[in-house]
Amino acid sequence: MRLPFLSMFVTSPFDGLQEHAEKVKECAWTFQQAMECYVAERCRRFAELRNEVTQMESDADVVKRRIRGHLPKGTLLPVDKFQLFRYLREQDSVLDTVEDALDWISYREQPGIPKELEKDLLLLVDSVVDPIEELSKMVAEARKYFKNYSEKQRKVVKDIITTLRQQEHDADKAEDVLKRKVFALDTLPTTVFHTVRLAETIGAIADHAQNAGDMMRAMVAK
Amino acid sequence: MLPEYGILIVGYLVGFYMAWNIGANDVANSMASAVGAKAITIRQAIFIAGILNIVGATFIGSHVTNTIRKGIVSIEVLSDPHTALIGALSALLAAALWVSFATFKSLPVSTTHSIVGAMIGFGVMTGGLSVINWAKLGAVVASWVISPVFSLVIAFLLFKFIVKVVLSKDDPFEWGLKFSPLFIGSTLFVVVLSFLFKTPLGKTLALGNITAIVFALFSAATLGYFGKYLLTRILSRHQARVEEIFRRIQIGTSCYVALAQGANDVANAIGPLAVIYFLVKSGQVGATVPVPLFLLFFGGIGIACGIAMAGHRVMKTIGTKITTLNNSRGFAVDFSAATTVLIASKMGLPVSTTHAAVGGVLGVGIARGLEAVNFRIVFQIMIYWVLTVPAAALTSMAIFSILRTIL
Repeated sequence: MRLPFLSMFVTSPFDGLQEHAEKVKECAWTFQQAMECYVAERCRRFAELRNEVTQMESDADVVKRRIRGHLPKGTLLPVDKFQLFRYLREQDSVLDTVEDALDWISYREQPGIPKELEKDLLLLVDSVVDPIEELSKMVAEARKYFKNYSEKQRKVVKDIITTLRQQEHDADKAEDVLKRKVFALDTLPTTVFHTVRLAETIGAIADHAQNAGDMMRAMVAK
Repeated sequence: MLPEYGILIVGYLVGFYMAWNIGANDVANSMASAVGAKAITIRQAIFIAGILNIVGATFIGSHVTNTIRKGIVSIEVLSDPHTALIGALSALLAAALWVSFATFKSLPVSTTHSIVGAMIGFGVMTGGLSVINWAKLGAVVASWVISPVFSLVIAFLLFKFIVKVVLSKDDPFEWGLKFSPLFIGSTLFVVVLSFLFKTPLGKTLALGNITAIVFALFSAATLGYFGKYLLTRILSRHQARVEEIFRRIQIGTSCYVALAQGANDVANAIGPLAVIYFLVKSGQVGATVPVPLFLLFFGGIGIACGIAMAGHRVMKTIGTKITTLNNSRGFAVDFSAATTVLIASKMGLPVSTTHAAVGGVLGVGIARGLEAVNFRIVFQIMIYWVLTVPAAALTSMAIFSILRTIL
């Protein structure tokens, strides 16, 4: 039986958004492990962890397509549909970029990162994992805001967005340090190229997280 | 007189079947938001809906029944008892057929529209197009457009109000409690008024309009504050969450919807049956024949049976599908839908409870209160408006021709 009253209620895209954000967060942790493994002396699990990330990325893609596919024309949402889609795109780009970074490493797994840069690389990785973790929190808090529209709750969401901006800035600085140091090293040009491009790719992860924050700012605008 | 009694029996059966269908299909409207928001369990919902549909049908329902019977189709067609009898039966059969077809095919067809269409078909068959009271029909069709819009506006404003004075506050629980007498009281005000105006009960009490309003205001205010007292007693020990307040209030408003639904929808099943009943009993139908209470009660029982038998399955679907509707939203939807239906019912306009409920949900949706609502259902419903009325009319005409040759 299909009742008109029931067919009004379509699956909430925010459920999907939350699920997607959780996937992104899980992926960030695996990414972190993979990076630690890459830096470590004897890394056996890198390929395995990379496959895990690839798998998660395709899982998240399914969620993304489900969200996009289940919003028929004429669906009323608390936010603009395009804002929602752009937010989702940015959140998904975080994941894509994580995958890109691991792919890039896999093209030249040996001889690994120069000893002198290990610490800086791990610092950069940490600085991009933080904003990713914020994303799922932000989605959850935003959902609360759409439930009560209280100024207090709006402030909570806006504070997370501010944190994201700050974290992106920190990640930029870490990326900058790494690139500066690699040029100062007396090493192979291929190593320099590989490291610079890697630093840029990892730095881009934080950019996408920040972009997601900016879209969220537009969604919670009054 | 034997065939007449045969027709009466068939009329009872089909009338009951129509009432059963109303119960089975429309129970979702009254209880959906309450069950979806987990304010009550499925079992409670079925019980409440059953009882209150009977009460609403019996004590508030009579006015609408009159209108369908003699408002749209001119009384002239009822002058020949035999034709009128066959006509009323074919209208009832045609409407029942349409409702069954709609249920079978899962189409959003309203029982109200089926019966109105079927009555028109019968009228046209007996007296041509001139017997249709076009002005009255126009008013009914207009009410189909106005009622969802009206419900939408009430729901929109009510939800915006709730957000402003309760939900967005730093301490929503405290504010919710503060405003609870208003929410409870305004619900009760409309219910009490609907009992006092144009019902057998109201006539017995013989209160003037002013007295009735004053009485309703007074009792609503008293009970509103009593409700607040109860809420304070029940909820102070709980975690102070504002939705808990609305959860309690929503139990009341879903009763309100069930009551309004019974009052309004019973006419769809009982209208033609009342015509048959009077023709058989008295041989003719006068201009001012009241609908007997027991027929309304019979209709109410039919609706309750439908709820009891099919309600469970429908409610289960609701529980899993409507997850985004929480108690404050549910309250706004319930209140707007029931108020719309009761007002229309009092004005003698046969509106659809479904459409009022749909309007209410859209109102909350437009107020950005729901995570996702499909607006397009409105267009689908409109298409079926345009289709149901002529289709039911044609079916009724065909059945009428067949029955006329047989009987």
